[in-house]
Amino acid sequence: MNAKTIALRLGALALIAAGFALIARAQDGLPLPSPVEKELAARATDVTEVTLDKNMLGFAAKFLNDKDEDEAGARKLISGLQGIYVREYEFDKEGQYSMDDVAKLRAYFETPEWSPIVHEHERKSGETTDVLIKLVNGETRGMFVLAAEPKELTIVLILGPIHPEDLSKLGGLGGLGALGNLPGVHQAPQDGKDKTGKPGDKKGDDE
Amino acid sequence: MRRIAFFLVCFLALIVPVVVLASGGEGGFDGVVHSIERGYHVHATRIPFMGLVSFISGGATHGGVSNLHVAEFDNFSAPMDGEDLTRMVEQKLGSGWQRVVRETSRGGQEQSLIYMRPEGSRMGLFVLDSDGNELDVVQVSVDPDHLNDTINQYSHHRNSEDRPD
Repeated sequence: MNAKTIALRLGALALIAAGFALIARAQDGLPLPSPVEKELAARATDVTEVTLDKNMLGFAAKFLNDKDEDEAGARKLISGLQGIYVREYEFDKEGQYSMDDVAKLRAYFETPEWSPIVHEHERKSGETTDVLIKLVNGETRGMFVLAAEPKELTIVLILGPIHPEDLSKLGGLGGLGALGNLPGVHQAPQDGKDKTGKPGDKKGDDE
Repeated sequence: MRRIAFFLVCFLALIVPVVVLASGGEGGFDGVVHSIERGYHVHATRIPFMGLVSFISGGATHGGVSNLHVAEFDNFSAPMDGEDLTRMVEQKLGSGWQRVVRETSRGGQEQSLIYMRPEGSRMGLFVLDSDGNELDVVQVSVDPDHLNDTINQYSHHRNSEDRPD
């Protein structure tokens, strides 16, 4: 076996290992950024990224005081999560992203396990909010929020056992508690069986 | 054969230090700071007795905070590319650090990077923040449990002071 063959085999082995590592990461925890996100980041004037995997959330939870009732609830919630992924893109003018981009983003996350529970579109302001939940054996295992404003696009992905009414508890994590004010999330079904929130079905949808 | 081995050893002995020096050699906090100094032609303001401050903060917080490093770049107005800055920091910071927050503006005026690294029961935090006029770099190791106890102690003290007699 010559050096060239060894080098080729080592290279192939490294590629396979890297491939497995990528697949493992995508399956176990937070997803890899979608190709659309890269394009959006290039067009945005301000980009905010927050990525907290299970380990980091475990550490972040320790900063919450378990002697305080509110913080103890948040601590318990955060400790059980698999990951939090937030992306916020701010643009200097309108029209920097298209509804096609929004649809691509939604499609990237909307696998069969994800069910849309809220789709709201305000024609006047041009704001769109989508909330999807991940259901595994009838239990909520994740939440995805996509909020599109004319000059701002926000993605929030929370993996793990979480209910819409828990969102306000995340206030200790960089203002994520504001998610609790999202339209329609308090009306979301806890057991996830009610699928009346399909796009276009909600009261908030005035399209 | 021995001659070839001798030349090989000499070659490695020469090339390794060259490569290490060329790559900047050091990593971690100092590596990042020196990298910024070189890359943007600026000088960090050194805070005197930082080691002592770190030692005292460790004692005052019962080990809640330790390994404190601070570097400040005043009048930092050099144009910055968020991608380049992130690459530079991650190249020097070393392994184990995970980026948890990144905030970047296209004009390069405002940049914030926060990294975390588990250090046993402690957590390492590395923060870089620039507001377009000043750039600050801070690294600290915290013990969440001890730090919480200290914070609680002070908040109880404050609450009892606030209580009317």
